[in-house]
Amino acid sequence: MTEALFEGLVLVLQWKALAFMMLGVLLGFWVGLLPGLGGATTLALMLPFIYTMQPVEAFAFLLGMHAVTATTGDITSVLFGVPGEAASAATILDGHAMAKKGEAGRALGAALAASLVGALVGAVALALAVPVVRPLVLTFGSPELFMLAIVGLAFIASLSSHGGRGMLRGFLAGALGLFFATVGQDPQAGVPRFTLDLLYLWQGLDLVPVLVGIFAIPEIIELVARGTSIAGRLPAGRLSRGAFEGVKDTFRHFWLTVRCSLIGTFIGIMPGLGGSVAQWMAYGHAAQSARTAEERKGFGAGDVRGVIGPGAANNSKEGGSLIPTIAFGVPGSTAMAILLGGFVLLGLVPGPDMLSKHLSVTYSMVWTIVIANVVTVLVCFAFLDQLAKLTTVRAGILIPIILVLVFIGSYTSNNHYGDILVTLVFGAIGYLMVLAGWPRAPFVLGLVLGKIAENYLYISVARYEAAWLTRPVVLVLIAVAVVVIIYPLFQARRKSAHA
Amino acid sequence: MPKAASLTLSVGVMLLAGYGIFAATGWPWKAALFPLAIGIPLFCLAAVEALWTLLGRAETGKNEMEVALTTEAGAQRRILVAVAWMVGFFAAVVLLGFPIAVPLFLFLYLKLQGGEGWPLSIGITLAVTAVFYGLFDALLHLPFPAGWLFSWLGLA
Repeated sequence: MTEALFEGLVLVLQWKALAFMMLGVLLGFWVGLLPGLGGATTLALMLPFIYTMQPVEAFAFLLGMHAVTATTGDITSVLFGVPGEAASAATILDGHAMAKKGEAGRALGAALAASLVGALVGAVALALAVPVVRPLVLTFGSPELFMLAIVGLAFIASLSSHGGRGMLRGFLAGALGLFFATVGQDPQAGVPRFTLDLLYLWQGLDLVPVLVGIFAIPEIIELVARGTSIAGRLPAGRLSRGAFEGVKDTFRHFWLTVRCSLIGTFIGIMPGLGGSVAQWMAYGHAAQSARTAEERKGFGAGDVRGVIGPGAANNSKEGGSLIPTIAFGVPGSTAMAILLGGFVLLGLVPGPDMLSKHLSVTYSMVWTIVIANVVTVLVCFAFLDQLAKLTTVRAGILIPIILVLVFIGSYTSNNHYGDILVTLVFGAIGYLMVLAGWPRAPFVLGLVLGKIAENYLYISVARYEAAWLTRPVVLVLIAVAVVVIIYPLFQARRKSAHA
Repeated sequence: MPKAASLTLSVGVMLLAGYGIFAATGWPWKAALFPLAIGIPLFCLAAVEALWTLLGRAETGKNEMEVALTTEAGAQRRILVAVAWMVGFFAAVVLLGFPIAVPLFLFLYLKLQGGEGWPLSIGITLAVTAVFYGLFDALLHLPFPAGWLFSWLGLA
């Protein structure tokens, strides 16, 4: 194993593989920054170019590109409140709030350092987990995966607001997200649901236009209403100083970073859940790490832990999602499904062969994730001062550029004008939600989980009828969901009794 | 304002969920299972929120985990202006297509709304348009069709 690990490193460090990886990193860097043009789309666009490459070069190119999109996606989330990737949306809540307080440098430093730690944890998990992960994945059938989705939703709904009223709104927003996920042709009977007789809606609501609308449009409106730069009227020179502070924050909360990385890896391993779920689960866990209700109120207002958690999970899930892809040929996400296509193009068969005959190629993927992330983080740190200064650019200059990014980002999701309309409609809903005090995080998680949860619920009911509710892991997950809901209420009650 | 927003949202959600439940009753159970499983609790939660908003104590509506909206004088007028620019940009994209709408919008916003000088407005417009073409057209070959106006005039 050690020999294969070393051989994998040597393979990646060969000049051709390294050059392709750097090209991939460069592409991934810009793709991550652009809202809408996701890592999966770019993987699909670049797939035809790997025909003539050797397996190690091809995976260095594809994985190098994919591994960094999540890292740079955090940059636009922090600076402009526009998610560069669907999987970077959770970073907005605290990262952009920090940017508004003039702490863009600190937020970026924390996001990048956490991303690096997350990527390393994910890569180590990939290297170690293949032999032991098989029984774990096989334990989780459709009922358990459905309950895992419900636990995730309960987690974020109960933690994104305070008190009974806040929890009501959290669950209301989560249920609304799940409801919007039912738009489109249903996967079982093929019935078009809530499509308004529009062909565009048959495939359902695309995540990117909705996310860009719900997060970016309220921010843009707020920026216009304030009429100042993102960092407001703060004194110049304060912005970039915190970058190193952000790195220190990551190590100050090192165990939180590792825990969130492990959450990301675990979610990555589970087929179908993906990075958008991982970031919110990690955000929920980070919010839960607050010891007092007072401390928890800081989340959403610029608590650095709200940046560290999603940042770490976002990158660690890459290593995690590669595990079932390589070991069983079961892709954990859309991007991994496309990567699986890459395996086929190169004549490789995922499965036992990848863990024996082609073990060095498997380990070269581990090294690609590590090297690509280290390079990206170092490059980002070199330009951090300039990036942080973007928050001081006048609103009059910034707004049209962000709006162009938002419109192009939405449009490129499906190359349809309907995507821009969806962005504007959900922008209005997002603004109303902010105005009314409804949390947006559970809504987004509901939308992300909706289709997955529906599939798993249908299979559970069709296969086991009501008996799926009595499976041991399901019972444990139900108990976890109940505790997640009750604990914050109990904590708040105890605090008011003490006061 | 937060009370009105919450009431608008909860009543809107009640109507949406009500329509969803009604529509789902006409579908086969495979298609109706999830919309009903979500729609019924969604309707109930929205009804509780609406009642709580109507009968409960007045509250600020601020969620500590969300962005704080400005309450400065004149903010509402500026918000309407922002919405008008977005709708205008959307109309320009649909009618003229991205290749024309992007530079047009950028220049007009920078000059008229941003009050920037000629050199800066032209410079930023040219730079962003160059990045737009370089990345999407030259490198990625992503198609941006001509606007509807050109189709109507038979020019596309």
